[in-house]
Amino acid sequence: MATSKLTEIPVILVGCGAISRFFYAPALTALAAPAALRVVALVDPSEENLVHVAEAFPEARKFRSLEEAEIAPSHLVIVASPPRFHARQSIHALGRGAAVLCEKPMAASLEDAEAMAAAATEGILAVGLYRRFFPACEAIHGLVQKQTLGRLKSFQVHEGGPFSWQAASESFFRRDSTPGGVLYDTGVHTLDLLLWWLGEPADFVYEDDAMGGLEANCRLALEYAHGCRGEVRLSRDWKTENRYTFFFERGFVRWIVNEADRLEICADGMPASLRGDLVPVSQTADRLIEQGQARTNPQSFIEQIRNVTAAMRGEEPLRVPAAEGLRSLRLIEQCYRKRSLMELPWLTLDEAEEGRRLAFAADEEVASR
Amino acid sequence: MKVAIVGASGFVGTRLVEAFVLGKVAEVVPVVRSFSSLAVLSRFDLPWKVCDVLNVEELARAFAGCDAVIHAALGDPVQIVKMAESIYAAADQANVKRLVALSSASVHGLAPASGTNESSPLHEKHSSDYNNAKVRAERVMLKLRQRGNVELVLLRPSIVYGPRCRLLATIARQLLDGTAFLVGEGEGICNGIYVDNLIEAIRRSLESARADGETFLVADAEAITWRAFHAKVADALGVNMDSVHRVAAPAFRRSFKERVEAYVATPFAQRLLPAVPGQAKRLTKVLLAGLKEPPRPNAWTLPNPPSCIVDEEMATLQQCTWKYPGTKAAELLSYAPNVSFDEGMRRSIGWLGVAGYPLKKR
Repeated sequence: MATSKLTEIPVILVGCGAISRFFYAPALTALAAPAALRVVALVDPSEENLVHVAEAFPEARKFRSLEEAEIAPSHLVIVASPPRFHARQSIHALGRGAAVLCEKPMAASLEDAEAMAAAATEGILAVGLYRRFFPACEAIHGLVQKQTLGRLKSFQVHEGGPFSWQAASESFFRRDSTPGGVLYDTGVHTLDLLLWWLGEPADFVYEDDAMGGLEANCRLALEYAHGCRGEVRLSRDWKTENRYTFFFERGFVRWIVNEADRLEICADGMPASLRGDLVPVSQTADRLIEQGQARTNPQSFIEQIRNVTAAMRGEEPLRVPAAEGLRSLRLIEQCYRKRSLMELPWLTLDEAEEGRRLAFAADEEVASR
Repeated sequence: MKVAIVGASGFVGTRLVEAFVLGKVAEVVPVVRSFSSLAVLSRFDLPWKVCDVLNVEELARAFAGCDAVIHAALGDPVQIVKMAESIYAAADQANVKRLVALSSASVHGLAPASGTNESSPLHEKHSSDYNNAKVRAERVMLKLRQRGNVELVLLRPSIVYGPRCRLLATIARQLLDGTAFLVGEGEGICNGIYVDNLIEAIRRSLESARADGETFLVADAEAITWRAFHAKVADALGVNMDSVHRVAAPAFRRSFKERVEAYVATPFAQRLLPAVPGQAKRLTKVLLAGLKEPPRPNAWTLPNPPSCIVDEEMATLQQCTWKYPGTKAAELLSYAPNVSFDEGMRRSIGWLGVAGYPLKKR
């Protein structure tokens, strides 16, 4: 990444909560010189949040709202505020010609996300689904698309564990301020990957454990036109394997969630499965040349921002544009529309009945809004 | 009745909220320590409170308007004792009528002597700091009851099992990966109580006119061995019980580091700690961390099948030969377990299936 000829891109970071503090701040710091980025403004209604992130960018101006900041077409606006603000802030920035990288989930509703996509027809709107930049996820994409191990027959996704993110307020858990629970939060990554790897499912069954509030556990059974079946179980309640398993015609592949640069593969004929680091290798004639190490998880996060800056300069296509972000949100909304209370075998019959009544009443209330 | 549940996001607390809400037992106010603890509670639309459970003023505000408080909060040994004080004081300040606190049968040790019941004398010389802290917490609360207005009921459950139970998940995982163990043939008694039976005891404790100031041992009706407990899980997972390691009763000796940590947790040391300079504390921690010897690997061995790591708590529990009596709880609380061991395990194993454990197809 040569820097000398690059025009500097001024960055406005909107939302200075945990995601900005622990992900965007170090990523933007790492990219500052190689991608010629400079954080010029920070936006957050909380002074405390602003102060924390300003430690990384002492020269950046601080604003309480995005409307106070001057936005030019040369700007990259990173929207990392709570999802209910994504649409308004992204559309505001896009309207001033800036490029936008919007953190996942893209918006609080499909309607909002569609409005964002419509506002970005002439501009750049990227969605922060950074797992697509994991070398392991790119490898799975290749294996599924090229059918290296034959056709994919089935898969299992078990993801999540006791909730450990340091939520700064209860808004994350209130149905009136957040549209969903574990499916909306964690599942947006999971469904994005599945849609990228496999395309749209032909049919699905969705169930969760919300009984008047937000789901902590959910189960999604999927069927695809080419015969593949899969199951997704997500939890913010109990420990799961945190593993994706794919059964192909001639082998299997396992991936541990968030291990960006590691994978386990077993092809027919191998005496044991192979689990290890991915190493980029190029082949010229009969020679293999190692190209350093595959991207780690933080490096993948950095890479998604670099991709946006490269797209702004016309050097690369945007890898996760708004149209891609819309797909997982659309599937999530479909899931919530088809929601039923999942079987919780420890409930008595009367409790299960009351649970269904509470779940149904809450869905009716949302539908009537 | 309006009931505040402190520790509503723990294993017992989660099921307690679920059972009280879905069973329409009481109006529930969950009380937790952090916003993150709302992740599972927020399945329901409830008027939860997030506060510092060691802060009497904050807790009293959370308890305002409640008829009763249930204390099911977990903590380290120091917190266990401090919470006993703060929760009782806050309940008193908020004019709560009754406090039902979950103590533990471990106040009698993990393998109690034959004949142990509620009137057996307690001591603070257990090898586990948790057990000693539970004894201290009981004493603190009973003392506070003598001069306070809040009625107090202390429950001493032993091995609580059910959905979300970590012990159950650990045994299932150990059975699957070949590291589960039984002391001898697993003939020791597992003083288990299915979580819904504990909730039934809590419900009775909220209502009973003869329970104030009393402590109660509560358990399932059946006397179950650890082999029977493991066998239920093994059968559900399709694991042969022959694969479970049989070990002789081991002797455990505390390391120097563990002895220092135990001493630091005592009330005497806790009173002294504020006077110790921070630099000295940090240096001690560094020195203690350095005491851990790295294992010496030996490459010249044959591939081994999975072996078990025999931990002190489980090994001691498995040497229990005494089934706790339920007579006092039956008499004063009218408590009778309404879920059998078989049914409790059926429901617990049902949770294992939902949580993704590979249950055998039937």
